[in-house]
Amino acid sequence: MTLYALQNLTVEIAGNQLVQDVSLEVEAGQCTAIIGASGSGKSLTCLTPFGLNSGSAIGSMMLDGIDLSNATAAEMRSARSQLTGFVFQQPMTALTPHLTVGAQLREAGAQGGFAFTRSDMIQKLERVGLSRADEKLDQFPHRLSGGERQRVLIAAAIAHNPKLLIADEPTSALDAALRSEIMHLLDELRAEHGLGMLLVSHDLASVEGHADQLIVMDQGSVVESGPVAEVIANPKQDYTKRLIAATPRLEEPPPVLSDTGEIVLETSDICVEFPKPGWRRGKVRAIEDANITVRQGEALAIVGGSGSGKSTLGRAIAGIGPVTSGSIFWENELLPERRNRSLSMRALIQPVFQDPVASLDPQWKVSDIVAEPLINLRSEILKPDRIIKVQQVLNEVGLGDEYHDRSPTSLSGGQAQRVAIARAIVADSHMLVLDEATSALDPLVGAEILKLLAQLQREKDLSIIFITHDIAAARRLCHRIVVLDEGHIVEAGNMGDVLQNPQNETTKKLLAVS
Amino acid sequence: MLALIVRRLLTAIPTLLGIILASFFLMRSAPGGPFDGERPLPPEVQEALRETYGLDKPLWEQAWIYISRLLQGDFGPSLVYRDFTVTELVAQGLPISLTLGGLAILLALLIGVTAGLFAAVKAGKMIDKSIMMLATVATALPTFVTGPALALFFGLWLGLLPVSGRGEGMAWLIMPVVALALPVSGAIAKLTRAGLATVLKQDHIRTARARGLPETKILFKHGLRPALVPVASYLGPAAAGLLTGAVVVETVFGLPGLGRYFVQGALNRDYPLVLGVVTLYAALIILFNLFADLIYGWLDPRMREE
Repeated sequence: MTLYALQNLTVEIAGNQLVQDVSLEVEAGQCTAIIGASGSGKSLTCLTPFGLNSGSAIGSMMLDGIDLSNATAAEMRSARSQLTGFVFQQPMTALTPHLTVGAQLREAGAQGGFAFTRSDMIQKLERVGLSRADEKLDQFPHRLSGGERQRVLIAAAIAHNPKLLIADEPTSALDAALRSEIMHLLDELRAEHGLGMLLVSHDLASVEGHADQLIVMDQGSVVESGPVAEVIANPKQDYTKRLIAATPRLEEPPPVLSDTGEIVLETSDICVEFPKPGWRRGKVRAIEDANITVRQGEALAIVGGSGSGKSTLGRAIAGIGPVTSGSIFWENELLPERRNRSLSMRALIQPVFQDPVASLDPQWKVSDIVAEPLINLRSEILKPDRIIKVQQVLNEVGLGDEYHDRSPTSLSGGQAQRVAIARAIVADSHMLVLDEATSALDPLVGAEILKLLAQLQREKDLSIIFITHDIAAARRLCHRIVVLDEGHIVEAGNMGDVLQNPQNETTKKLLAVS
Repeated sequence: MLALIVRRLLTAIPTLLGIILASFFLMRSAPGGPFDGERPLPPEVQEALRETYGLDKPLWEQAWIYISRLLQGDFGPSLVYRDFTVTELVAQGLPISLTLGGLAILLALLIGVTAGLFAAVKAGKMIDKSIMMLATVATALPTFVTGPALALFFGLWLGLLPVSGRGEGMAWLIMPVVALALPVSGAIAKLTRAGLATVLKQDHIRTARARGLPETKILFKHGLRPALVPVASYLGPAAAGLLTGAVVVETVFGLPGLGRYFVQGALNRDYPLVLGVVTLYAALIILFNLFADLIYGWLDPRMREE
């Protein structure tokens, strides 16, 4: 039975048609997935028919016999509150900060006409896999982790037994292990309640095995659609083929990596401690006795779930985070704490961060951003040479002259990440520390950034520390891998060996969900 | 929560001490003294008076004596109103000033939040623009303009409200409270509107909308509280502004509040009186800031974590 059908949907915002002629169907008990890069109009397609965007939707939109295109405000509200449940991308911000989990769950139920008792709510939370549900009911959302909040959102979205669940990137803010758990939970709930689901994602790998129908969108239009397995096995359109090729997979043949030289970076027993939050005394060990080495021209993957300490370790090495004890050596020379590092030492290791747009100063021009490290770290280079150098480096990362005067906010995620990489290599650094540098990007863009990194590594003999939760992406770039769990290095070795023959449980789990 | 209050009150002690000492020495470095009238007293009499009030001792010793007396709750004698102690003068003025200030804050919140709410809901429309313009005007008009203007209009022309002093009932409060509240309410309206405009774009509002809640409920249940955080941070400084602003309003409307003693005391070099009022103001402002911090925690539970 067709539960929800869009025909020739067009979405207009301020006179611009951002989505054109999209048609799709969701069957009861089945899942239709929309895949596309950011800006492809996939979220608009799902949210605008329900009035959850500023745009206006034109076309036929039938939900369980109700025509949403000419529903009154009250009908629309009841379509939202009773027939449909919504799960959004950002669990950190999608819950109201000043209302307890229980109050929000009760509200969701009340909107659908259910008066929940406390034990009802505990049961709902337990169903979505939240431990100590009784306690969590009285807590404010900020006390919960990202995964826990997403479970609360799901519990609230299905509390009123809707017929349709709309999930807009429900897992892209979560780490790999949680992603697969949440996707499985959604599958189970779908089977249990006979829910129809409309799933939006930018990540092909995360919908495979969960969706029945696949719709590929690009620039506001449907590129290709059909049953998932068929589309993936036999893509017809060029865009779909590129998307499939860009999605890293563990099954793909191992990449050819450049040769490596002598050991350049060595750490000995690095520990990082943070004071516990609140008024409780004591400290949390984020990193315990970490020993790693990186050779010249080598890429090392640091892999782990969220909270495993992988970013803390990367920041300690790059000299932008605290080190409680232990030492870091560069070519057998001790690198002191950040404050005591000389300028030439600071130039050695440069970081690149996850959110490219947020990590660049919006007030600055691209060329000024890239020139800043030269001014500070390489003051011997005079202005005319500096301008040439900035131009050259921007060309190397694939940004032409037309980008020099742009501001970071006018760049796409991929372009901004290229600027961040240019900023990191401009002062002739020898090592990059990339903290989830491709995780926030669309697969096509992420794959291009990985290619750029491999190329720069070959040309400049760069060493790379690639921090990620995505082993399949790391495999495209990295020679060796270090697996972290709760601040401990639990496994280390050559990428190929570890993937073929993982020893540690954490590694096995991470591989299973990749 | 309790720990926060205790900690804040403990840190208030050195702050207060610092304020008292700074004002003590500042005031003493100003030329003149309490007994320099238009018709100077004979030197012997002045000397005797200085000795009686301990003004002949070294400054540090005087400061020490003042503070140790203060710790016992003794604000000392007034040097100008010689039949009264500072405590007696303050006890007369404080209730009037507190009533004025407290009512003014409440009125400002009522007007400001309501106006800001309307403006935010009708963002970009005519009503939004008019409210924001009025708010700017209200913020820009000083109390020494609005006070006399109100008195002229409602007091003298319409004869509705008493122009000066405390009459029967509560009518005498209306004009001074309105004059005090107007500028604050303009600022609160602007802060509320800006806060709501930000909050209404946030993800949790979309979640609430997705649950099918009506717009008014979304506004009051999910939107308003986090939007008032900037208003709460403004309340501390606003209270300080109201206390000092009261000096003007009390003078305009001829009310025997603290402000009058403050100004008179400063002009007459009535050291204990000025110090007493300063101490009281400082304590009140510290209390208001603590109160604002507690409101933070209620408005947004995330702030309780720090």
